[in-house]
Amino acid sequence: MRIYEKVVRSIDVKNTGGDRGDGIFEIDYDKFILAGGKLIHLKNVTKIYEQNGVVALDNVTIDINAGEFVFLVGTSGSGKSTLMKLLMHEEVATSGEIFVDGRDVVRLSRKEVPYLRRDLGVIFQDHRLLEDKTVYENIAFAMQVIEAPNKIIKHSVEGVLDIVGLRDKAKSFPSQLSGGEQQRVAIARAIVNKPQIVIADEPTGNLDPNTSREIMDIFKRINDAGTTIVMATHDKDIVNRMQRRVIAIENGKIIRDQLRGRYAGGR
Amino acid sequence: MKFQTIQYYFHEVFVSMVRKRWMTFASIGTVTVSLFVLGVFLILVMNMTKMASSLESQVQISAYLTDSLTPENRAEVERMIRSLSTVTKTEYVTKEQALQILQARLGDQKKILDALGESNPLPNYFLVTVKKASDVKRTAIAIADLYGVEEVKYGQDVAANLFDLTHLIRVFGFILMLVLALATIFIISNTIRLTVFARRKEIAIMKYVGATDEFIRWPFVLEGMALGFIGGSLSAIVLSSFYSAMAAKIYSTLAFFPLIEQSPFMIYLTLGLIISGMAVGILGSTVSLKKFLEV
Repeated sequence: MRIYEKVVRSIDVKNTGGDRGDGIFEIDYDKFILAGGKLIHLKNVTKIYEQNGVVALDNVTIDINAGEFVFLVGTSGSGKSTLMKLLMHEEVATSGEIFVDGRDVVRLSRKEVPYLRRDLGVIFQDHRLLEDKTVYENIAFAMQVIEAPNKIIKHSVEGVLDIVGLRDKAKSFPSQLSGGEQQRVAIARAIVNKPQIVIADEPTGNLDPNTSREIMDIFKRINDAGTTIVMATHDKDIVNRMQRRVIAIENGKIIRDQLRGRYAGGR
Repeated sequence: MKFQTIQYYFHEVFVSMVRKRWMTFASIGTVTVSLFVLGVFLILVMNMTKMASSLESQVQISAYLTDSLTPENRAEVERMIRSLSTVTKTEYVTKEQALQILQARLGDQKKILDALGESNPLPNYFLVTVKKASDVKRTAIAIADLYGVEEVKYGQDVAANLFDLTHLIRVFGFILMLVLALATIFIISNTIRLTVFARRKEIAIMKYVGATDEFIRWPFVLEGMALGFIGGSLSAIVLSSFYSAMAAKIYSTLAFFPLIEQSPFMIYLTLGLIISGMAVGILGSTVSLKKFLEV
């Protein structure tokens, strides 16, 4: 029932949230039903890299509901990053099916990829901010490039600066910020287009424990507001503290999927 | 496309060119120099071709007439020659005029002619000018067949050599232009590749937040166009002043030299340089971007 409400909410957001200029209505009910009503649906997904024959993911099946907070844990090279790349269509699955917000990601045409990505906010360990743009410009950039109307850009950017607590740093350049502040800018940029899902790859990887906790608080608030979060991490401490769903991947296979999990196995 | 988007593109191009002013400067410089070199060779080759054609057009046919020809017959021969489609001009030279020409040509040695006494062994003849150099041989053969024409001369060997030479100039000039044009495209697109490479991070972020390929491509295409336009214009300005200075110099010393006239030629050259600059700029940015759009 909750899923159903979520979908209705997201359609409302899209109808009122503004004219995207492309006239594409984004939810295909048939496909949504195909995906079993899940926001993210992976079924028997295998990914083999053609260049070197490495099996990065081996027959993986995962369902993620709207509003969930999911940690992906596992050693480097376990397949977490590949999984995220498949969701964003940066890589394409060798076999199996992937649905994200009603979109058939495996069969997505090149032209449709940008519209999939507008539903996904992406955050990287190394922030990936533009050094020659201010904090404000970095965030506004994400809206400009999808042709959001100017009049809502200012309002939205100020809104997300409040969420990440950087309103007073709007005119600073990334080089004038600490690592934690830079990551907050990256988060603000990822959520400014109101994506359904936020994908974060080791967002606290370079941060000290205190800063990591502050960053996690922001993610928690974003999740509380209804956004689904999928986060790959090595950080034992935050996984154990948050007590959210944990999916452990090893050698391309899911070895554990717990609703209120810890970093290591067991209760 | 929204007006806001077009505004954004122009703003992006302007900011990008100003922020990376050294790169912009280097790109414009490269475009200017490459197109200038191309332009210099184009001017040289075209003038050499023009000179070759002018030399060719000076090849004339002399049709020597038999002495026994009556004036009526001569008029008939002239009418026949004029009726040939390849002929543009005929000039009648009497044997007396021919002798004068010979005397003038001999200069100091004209005393040799005294040995002739009162007799004049030179024939009357028609001097025939043809439309195209390549028509000379065919026309000469046709004239030789006419009644009353004793012999036809057109400097067979000289003409053949000249045609070989002008043919060589044309072929060599065409190959040179082709090679230079390819080199120019290569240099310019490589320069633009550098500006695209400098912004690869920005392109990757645009891809991640869901910008369409067209949206990402436009500012780069516009920037390539702007670089090409500025470079093309600069090279055209430099070339024009260079050409008029050179023309003035040549006319004052070698007046007979058949230079291509400046008026329509330089306008075409200017337009050509600007358009090729822009085309290469667009091509360069589109090709260089392709790789970075694959994210």
